[in-house]
Amino acid sequence: MDYILHLGILICIYTILAQSLSLVAGYSGQISLAQAGFYGIGAYLSALLTVNFGFSVLVTLPLAMILSGIIAYVVSKVAVKTVDDYYIIITLGIQVEIFSVMNNWQEVTRGPLGIPGIPSFSSFGFEFDSKVSYLLLSIFFAGLVWFVLHNLTKSPFGRVLRGLSEDEVYTKSLGKNVGSYKVISFVISGMLASIAGVLYAHYISYIDPTSFTIDESIFILSIVIIGGMRNLQGIFFAATFLVLLPEALRFVGMPSSVAANMRQVIYGIALILVIFRMGVNKSKTLRNANV
Amino acid sequence: MQLSLNILVTFSILILLGLSFSLIFRGAKFFDIGQALTLTLASYSTYLFSIQLDTSFLIAVPISIFFGICLMLLVNQYIYNPLQKRKVENWQMLIASLGVYVVLQNTISLIWGDNTLSFRTWPVKEGHQVLGAYITDVQIITVISCGFLVGLGCFFLEKTSIGNKIKAVSSNPGLAAIMGISKEKAVIWSSVLGSGLAACAGILIAADTDMTPTMGFNWLLFGVVSMIIGGMGKLRYLILGALLLATAQHLSAYYLDSKWINATAYIIHNAFLYFRPYGFSGQPLKKAEI
Repeated sequence: MDYILHLGILICIYTILAQSLSLVAGYSGQISLAQAGFYGIGAYLSALLTVNFGFSVLVTLPLAMILSGIIAYVVSKVAVKTVDDYYIIITLGIQVEIFSVMNNWQEVTRGPLGIPGIPSFSSFGFEFDSKVSYLLLSIFFAGLVWFVLHNLTKSPFGRVLRGLSEDEVYTKSLGKNVGSYKVISFVISGMLASIAGVLYAHYISYIDPTSFTIDESIFILSIVIIGGMRNLQGIFFAATFLVLLPEALRFVGMPSSVAANMRQVIYGIALILVIFRMGVNKSKTLRNANV
Repeated sequence: MQLSLNILVTFSILILLGLSFSLIFRGAKFFDIGQALTLTLASYSTYLFSIQLDTSFLIAVPISIFFGICLMLLVNQYIYNPLQKRKVENWQMLIASLGVYVVLQNTISLIWGDNTLSFRTWPVKEGHQVLGAYITDVQIITVISCGFLVGLGCFFLEKTSIGNKIKAVSSNPGLAAIMGISKEKAVIWSSVLGSGLAACAGILIAADTDMTPTMGFNWLLFGVVSMIIGGMGKLRYLILGALLLATAQHLSAYYLDSKWINATAYIIHNAFLYFRPYGFSGQPLKKAEI
């Protein structure tokens, strides 16, 4: 039973990460490979402040969001100058830089040794130390992020994001400052991803840089692409599918070392197939437009 | 002096990778992450033939390069070409290539495992002393081979009709099509040449520092960074890009620590994209002008 609850918590964490990425990748058309970096920033800041200075999570959570927001702002100011695959490469670079800091700044982050003994999430005297309570907490945060993103994307702000992802020049001609919209969406996405980091750190109680690598960013992006770039519900189902996939492989008797690689092979194939599907849809749209 | 020799060796590999990547980019017009697998597969198939099947190393190397080229041609034929016919955008092509990379890299992991492997059977000996610094035989071969291969690649690009067709398609695909130049053939040739060079780079890297299934990704990205710093255009800009990157990486390893090499590469890359988005060449690029 505990294991099922554990999977439920992971599904909530990945839903937050992927839905927050969809604001940038799906709505404003900027595919980012830096999401695991912001996830890591949230996890590390909260872990360091609670372990070393005894801060409450209620304080570290907003601080993690603010720090992620500041870093996301700086990053997006650089990245916003590029488009398309150049944008992906620049965010990939940012991801590598954030990982390098987590892995190599050993005086602060303890590098590959990681940070052990992270206290469990507690607020107003209540400790979320059982799996059931942590699952409820994760569902609360996942629901909150979903609610925020749902309303944000339906708002005039969301409509401008959709507009600029469809036709940036046209949106600009309507007097919209597309650059600032891109920056704002990236900052919000980074801030929301840090919530998942805080949840993860206080759940696992030990973090090290290997949880926040480029592979993790690719995994989060896969969830978004497989679930549907602008489909928050689809992203939730994709997160569920991809988190449960290794368990399904275990049930068919595959050793865990092989299952880890097989899981990646399957989501790699899924990525290719989804891009094929996008291509088919685009061809149909073009044909209909010509008719 | 040791620092200069280290820079020279890294620079040689980077220029080879940068040229390989820019050739493929000229034809395909997107960042093909799957290209990293050519590098990895070539070194693993050298291991397969020379160590596991006990074939002569001199036979294993050309077979491995051939394998690397065939892999990219198959990926081109069955994944990239159909996608481009469906008019998918460049970022979607990049994501598809990322999918190709994830699938093939994990397949290599499943076959050979994640541990470091080596096809070095020659005895380990002290390097040659040059003005107080040391350079090994493999590093000397690397520098000479890279110089030769880059020269050959440039000769092919500048002096042959196929090279000119690749440049024509890269510069203006519409006009090239009107002139009767087949885009598909140009893409195939740029893919053959680019993946051949990447396969050679993979074998040279593995000969010096052994191999892991993920080795291709970092090296490929260093090649991309060299290309972006240099900018699209003449070889001299690519040389400048590779030289700057190799120098910065080794200086950071010398003054800070070798673990900061990756971060240094990307800091330079991002700084260039912000302050000088067209690289040293200054040739405008659609993707970096908004």
